[in-house]
Amino acid sequence: MNNTNPPTYRSAAAAGIASPRLQKSLHGLQDRFGKGAMEIWATMDDREMRHRVKDSRMNTFAHLDIILAELAKNVRARGGQVHFAATAQEAIDYTLAVAKKNKVKRVVKGKSMTSAEINIDPALEGASIEVVETDLGEYIIQLAGDKPSHIIAPCIHLDRNQIGELFAEKLGIDYSNDPPTLTMAARSALREKMLGAEMGLTGCNLACAETGQISLVSNEGNIRMATTMPPVLVALMGMERVVATLDEHREALHLLTRGAALQKLSTYVSFLGGPANADDPDGPKEFHLVIIDNGRSKILADPEFREVLACIRCGACLNICPVYGKIGGHAYNSPYCGPIGAVVTPLLDGINKHADLCKGETLCGACKDICTVEIDLPRMLAALRHKLAYGSDRWNTRQHNPIEAYVYSLWKLLVSNSFLYRLSLRLGWLLQRPFVKKNKMISKMAGLADGWTADRDLPPLAGRTFTDLWKRKYAVGRPSASKAQKKGGS
Amino acid sequence: MDSQNAFLRNIRQSLGLSPDEERPKRLFPALFAKTDTTLILQGIKNRTAEQQDELVELLKTNARALSITTHIVRTYEEAAAVIIHLVRTKSPEFTPTKHIIHHDHPDLAALQLWKRFDREGEGVTVHTTFSPDRQLREKTIASFIGITAPDIGVADSATLVQFTATGCPRSTSLVPSIHIAFLKKENLVADLREAYALLRERARLDSYVFITGPSKTADIEAQMVHGAHGPREVHLLLFCLSVVAETPNEAPIPLVPLKEE
Ligand code: SF4
Repeated sequence: MNNTNPPTYRSAAAAGIASPRLQKSLHGLQDRFGKGAMEIWATMDDREMRHRVKDSRMNTFAHLDIILAELAKNVRARGGQVHFAATAQEAIDYTLAVAKKNKVKRVVKGKSMTSAEINIDPALEGASIEVVETDLGEYIIQLAGDKPSHIIAPCIHLDRNQIGELFAEKLGIDYSNDPPTLTMAARSALREKMLGAEMGLTGCNLACAETGQISLVSNEGNIRMATTMPPVLVALMGMERVVATLDEHREALHLLTRGAALQKLSTYVSFLGGPANADDPDGPKEFHLVIIDNGRSKILADPEFREVLACIRCGACLNICPVYGKIGGHAYNSPYCGPIGAVVTPLLDGINKHADLCKGETLCGACKDICTVEIDLPRMLAALRHKLAYGSDRWNTRQHNPIEAYVYSLWKLLVSNSFLYRLSLRLGWLLQRPFVKKNKMISKMAGLADGWTADRDLPPLAGRTFTDLWKRKYAVGRPSASKAQKKGGS
Repeated sequence: MDSQNAFLRNIRQSLGLSPDEERPKRLFPALFAKTDTTLILQGIKNRTAEQQDELVELLKTNARALSITTHIVRTYEEAAAVIIHLVRTKSPEFTPTKHIIHHDHPDLAALQLWKRFDREGEGVTVHTTFSPDRQLREKTIASFIGITAPDIGVADSATLVQFTATGCPRSTSLVPSIHIAFLKKENLVADLREAYALLRERARLDSYVFITGPSKTADIEAQMVHGAHGPREVHLLLFCLSVVAETPNEAPIPLVPLKEE
């Protein structure tokens, strides 16, 4: 989230819409995974499960202090080390200290959005540590010097030809655009990296307080590699990614893999607590769990937004959102894109800074329907807009667009006073004249209003209002309902 | 611990509680209340032979959909024959020579694999993950087939639950190109609910993994490719002393007699 000069929401969205390749991929993705998840929810035997998991997530948050203390206690009992980091910087400092202490030269990463959120890579690289993404999609993004554009499918915006060219250039292989060939090339390259790394750095899908374990989900096996072969493991965990009991874990996992990829289970679900035994030939000798706040407690404190912490990052809402489905992930300018990104990014990184995100979404409600844990994202998008409209001390948000606010207060005045309203219509009718073209449409308005006609023509204000017409037609007397119908029908 | 105290204080504050008043777990018994799994565990134990066979069929169907090859074997000899066949017909991916490695597990020891590759010029090296062998890491990396005996099989999702234990390290089912899993029918359960009930009995385990099929990715244009980082093939040897419902193996494999030393 610390981009120096990111493209604006508008320009990145326009670029996304203009890319036929991206449009094709997004369409394919939404057609399969969006529809697929809705189908699973509609046909699930246990219709209450999503509701239950949501409730249990919310109950966890209401007792988060107790549950995190229990998690930390149980991880420590297994010999693991737990560090609580209030800020991104604290998490970075701790991880860096672990790496330095162990003379780490290479870190292999399992796909972790939290690591992107805290922007840890530059800090590691600044300490001359090689950082290698191991998820195939993330690896491609890293080689390309690009940014992920989907929570689960990071390189959805790149096609096989581009990836073929990238691999030919960066891995020195013959050009191929065959996905199996490209995957095998990455497999060989990354195997070397993973077997020779001194530290694995992962996220955490769900920690279980009762058992003192974290669990990590992957299809590729990269996360298993990163948690098995290097002697040091650091797992970064947002403080909300915890369940109290194994029972709750099972249900959350059940939903996660279905929402994310329509799978009963991902290929691998690893459960880890603490370091390996001294005699084990593999497994980490040091296990560090870093529990990160970085703005989450502020969300926790606000009942209006607490619900968003229930998110298990399955990505399902991206697979149905009509806005994401057109503009793609880059416009969101955050590791968290799509509807969830439009809510969580402003909350974590500044509502004013990311003002376009909540305004860009349509509030159509599709993300709420699909959300694996029934989060009401549209409600929170509207709440964010409210903060932008009126400002909020709690969220340190200033009124986003004072002119807009002024225009709307004027509008309020006009529509609540019939004399002023009619007067302004009359005035508008006169003022619009120079703008009405031959086809009787307005194709360009002036000043602040020109955005309205950027992509479409508007019909001009009518010379006579509906009320005028009505009065003229029925000047004699009010028609009965049947008469009016007859007239309308003739 | 200081970082923890400040962190949890802040959480209490965010929850509108008094930040300095720690809330002890015992005052909230419902939070960690365990659901009663007695019935589930009894159900697993009292499953009839027919019910078990149904699970076998379910597992086979689900496994096929996930590109897991299931071989039903009735004896250790049959199991060994399947493994020998795979070792002979498959090629190593990363090394010129054939090394295989298996967990130090009684069921796998019973296969006596170290005696089985004595054909002229065959040159198959069989390793066992004895603890503490200091060279195990290198041996595992050199092996193209890893053989384990998972502790639980889940029919509904075709999942193998592999516990980490002394002599049964994590990398055997991960680093070699082909994973062969030997699962006894009696370790088969219906679904994850049953598997979790068993896992709770083993709460002290530090590490285990659910394995559902071979490693895969769909990161390039959503095309599924097997073998992203983990094994690109998974073979399941399902050890059933009695099989009521007869469905033939996909490719029947002849027995290989064990040579006398
Ligand atoms: S908001 Fe819901 S659907 Fe979207 S990623 Fe989070 S859990 Fe999944």
